[in-house]
Amino acid sequence: MLDAFSRAVVSADASTATVGDIGALKAFIASGNRRLDAVNAIASNASCMVSDAVAGMICENQGLIQAGGNCYPNRRMAACLRDAEIILRYVTYALLAGDASVLDDRCLNGLKETYAALGVPTTSTVRAVQIMKAQAAAHIQDNPSESFAGAKLRKMGSIVVEDRCASLVAEASSYFDRVISALS
Amino acid sequence: MKSVLTTVIASADAAGRFPSSSDLESVQGSIQRAAARLEAAEKLAANIDNVAKEAYDACIKKYPYLNNAGEANSTDVFKAKCARDIKHYLRLVQYCLVVGGTGPLDEWGIAGQREVYRALSLPTAPYVEALSFARNRGCAPRDMSAQALTEYNALLDYAINSLS
Repeated sequence: MLDAFSRAVVSADASTATVGDIGALKAFIASGNRRLDAVNAIASNASCMVSDAVAGMICENQGLIQAGGNCYPNRRMAACLRDAEIILRYVTYALLAGDASVLDDRCLNGLKETYAALGVPTTSTVRAVQIMKAQAAAHIQDNPSESFAGAKLRKMGSIVVEDRCASLVAEASSYFDRVISALS
Repeated sequence: MKSVLTTVIASADAAGRFPSSSDLESVQGSIQRAAARLEAAEKLAANIDNVAKEAYDACIKKYPYLNNAGEANSTDVFKAKCARDIKHYLRLVQYCLVVGGTGPLDEWGIAGQREVYRALSLPTAPYVEALSFARNRGCAPRDMSAQALTEYNALLDYAINSLS
């Protein structure tokens, strides 16, 4: 498993050079608290995000919870919730590390083949991941949609930085995209 | 590669939980110390050739027998390899400064070190002398800030201890 720092070291070692681009790592350090807040925003809302994403996926495709569907009976629905949580957890790890290696090695490696063998439908899984991607962006920005969330609106606090951590939103989205492309 | 970040993630993963607030605390602790580490890494990278050259000269000066025929520093090829080895150690120290842990030294320097030096019948004392020279040569605030120098010296000490 690598993080942003060891990634820089491994690529420098490939050419037996010293690590030259210290500037990018300094930026990582300088925005460290933002990153921790973003990780906290996802971790604190994880179970809400997971159940919403799976519920949303089912809403759009009721067949999943009818007899023969992949979320029927409860046992398989529970497996689905567990898997969504696992994917979200590894995305959170990747966001904390600033590098996708933990997500690749421990979650995505062989996931597509496993799902194919188990008969898990890719399109539904991808849809749930897409919903979690949107949720993660909203929680990192701390800008969840009032019209969608209604009474369940969750906020972390007040705005700390003006750009609402745009770079971290982009980074988190890229990890979700990685999951989606690994599955499809 | 072991660092504060990867250790935190590995233990959270072993327990199957999201990063907890105490996990985030320990990451923040490492981030707070990182500015000094990165400063040392930057300064070392800018001067690594000179630092390695001085350290190499110092160890040959202390152990002139290495220049005798058949010894480790006798030919131009050997001399170049000795100087390269010293620079390797300093490069690994720079990597450790970047990562914030001893992972690079452990994995790429120390693992198998004893076996390699025994197989090539290389003495470790000159390496110790070279790294000790580098360790005592650094000076704050001339070369880097005091905190950066502390981090740098701690890693050189780690490398020295692995050789002695």
